[in-house]
Amino acid sequence: MSDIIERLLKILTIIVIAVWSLFPIAFVVVSSIKPPGDIFAYPPKWLFTPTLQNYVDLWLEFGEFFHTLGNSIIVSIGATVFTTAVGFMAGYVYSRYSGRLIAASALYMIAIRLLPPIVVTLPLFPIVSWLRLSDTHIVLILLYSAFWVSLVTVILKTFIDEIPRELDEAAEIDGASQWQILMRVILPLTAQGLAAGAIFVFIFAWNEFLFALIFTTSQAKTAPLVLSEVMDAIYGTSWGVLFAGVTIQLLPVLLLVVLANRLIVAGLTAGSVKG
Amino acid sequence: MKTPDRGAFLLAAPAHLLLAITITIPAVYILWLSLNDSTFGTQLTFVGLSNYFDVFADPSFWNAAKNTFFVVNGIVYVEILLATLIAAVLVSGVPFRPVLIAIILVPYAASEVVTVLVWKSLMNPSYGMIGRALIDLGMGLNWSVSPSDALVLVGIISVWQHLPFSFLLIYAGMMAIPRSLYEAAAIDGAGTIQTFFKVTLPLLVPTILVAIIFRFVFAFRLFSEVWLLTGGGPARMTEVLAVYLYRDAYRTGDFGAAAATGWLMVVGTLLFASVYLWFMHRGMRNGNV
Repeated sequence: MSDIIERLLKILTIIVIAVWSLFPIAFVVVSSIKPPGDIFAYPPKWLFTPTLQNYVDLWLEFGEFFHTLGNSIIVSIGATVFTTAVGFMAGYVYSRYSGRLIAASALYMIAIRLLPPIVVTLPLFPIVSWLRLSDTHIVLILLYSAFWVSLVTVILKTFIDEIPRELDEAAEIDGASQWQILMRVILPLTAQGLAAGAIFVFIFAWNEFLFALIFTTSQAKTAPLVLSEVMDAIYGTSWGVLFAGVTIQLLPVLLLVVLANRLIVAGLTAGSVKG
Repeated sequence: MKTPDRGAFLLAAPAHLLLAITITIPAVYILWLSLNDSTFGTQLTFVGLSNYFDVFADPSFWNAAKNTFFVVNGIVYVEILLATLIAAVLVSGVPFRPVLIAIILVPYAASEVVTVLVWKSLMNPSYGMIGRALIDLGMGLNWSVSPSDALVLVGIISVWQHLPFSFLLIYAGMMAIPRSLYEAAAIDGAGTIQTFFKVTLPLLVPTILVAIIFRFVFAFRLFSEVWLLTGGGPARMTEVLAVYLYRDAYRTGDFGAAAATGWLMVVGTLLFASVYLWFMHRGMRNGNV
């Protein structure tokens, strides 16, 4: 008897978790193809004729959104490539070398990440505008990389730790330089770790709001920023248009998370529990 | 393990240069900035601790500090509790576990802007699906008028967004507990609940502490949820520290006061993290972890 109750409770919990996680996302995606009048019908309208009208209106009324989507792509890919490259080199050093300087700098790399991001914007804001770098992709790429390089380094260190040292030594005896060992021996064997690190940076950069709000105004503005502005200016039936934009901004990372969830779990395990 | 040579320093240099230029040097400079009178574009004038006194004398600061304290504690403990419960259910064996994990991760894909936007429309008391249903059930959240209701909604939004992170940490911790301990407990005739409290929970303490520290540090910088939901209003009643700082710096242009607030946030974060680290250290030394 208690077995049956336990099983029922378990099934109930699973349903609650699934609804809790999926409902808000499903609501927005479904609403984006609803006729505007049906979106907020109460009780909710479950059956409706799908329409792409909201997407057409988004294109006509907020063409700027597609420009900012382009900025998001540039900034996210830029930050991902840069952070992964820099973190890979540092991760190799932390995996293969030891000593007091190494230990101290590793601790410092983790600790510096505790700093609230908004705090560093205060001195950077005047410097960035003095260097005429405000509203450029470079500023966002550098800031996103700075806040994620620690985690990527730890993830890659953990993955590189798994590669037997004998491989490095054999290559060294064959006369390979340090750089050659890194590129020809370590790099091909760390593909999973590189992908795990890259996914974290990409998702973060794609979604980031605060730095984009402070450091961009028009040229380098990213998609989340323009969505927040549309939300502020909302009136009457524009919710449908907004939901269309949200769906476009959401889908690429949603696919990434669902398809690569094993890598995310592996990366997080390497990055925080072991490290 | 080798001792670092010139090549090792060169390979680690880009990461450290990046951190120095964008985080470390600015963080130190803020300390100097907090001791000066400064508005954007003007020269600094040294004023000692007066920015700190100004901040401490401002009732809005204390309100923001109080809000941050309550919201952060609420978010972290509710989240850890839910994450532990969900992880326990998953570890006990469920059908389609990989699919379920993918589903749990979904909120992690949404940006803060999207998350706030979706919840804002769902919870709208006059046309939102959940907002209206809650009113019909007599549990409506009047978040556009009542500051405490707004902060509850901020908490719900934040928990929804970050639960996947806490869940993954705790789930990984549970998976690392040796199966043999459960077999032994089963032989001794322990039930599900008993096994959880006598085997799982004690072994999970370090993981839970790590999850609490991570989530506290990240929840402490809470900004977007509040800024996008209420803008800190009505009458600055829903401000949290990051919003207070943002308003000082980028609306009022008072960089000195903002820098002082920034350092107070850093000290707050470190104090909290160190208290937990101390507990963890003591627990490990006593051998009960």
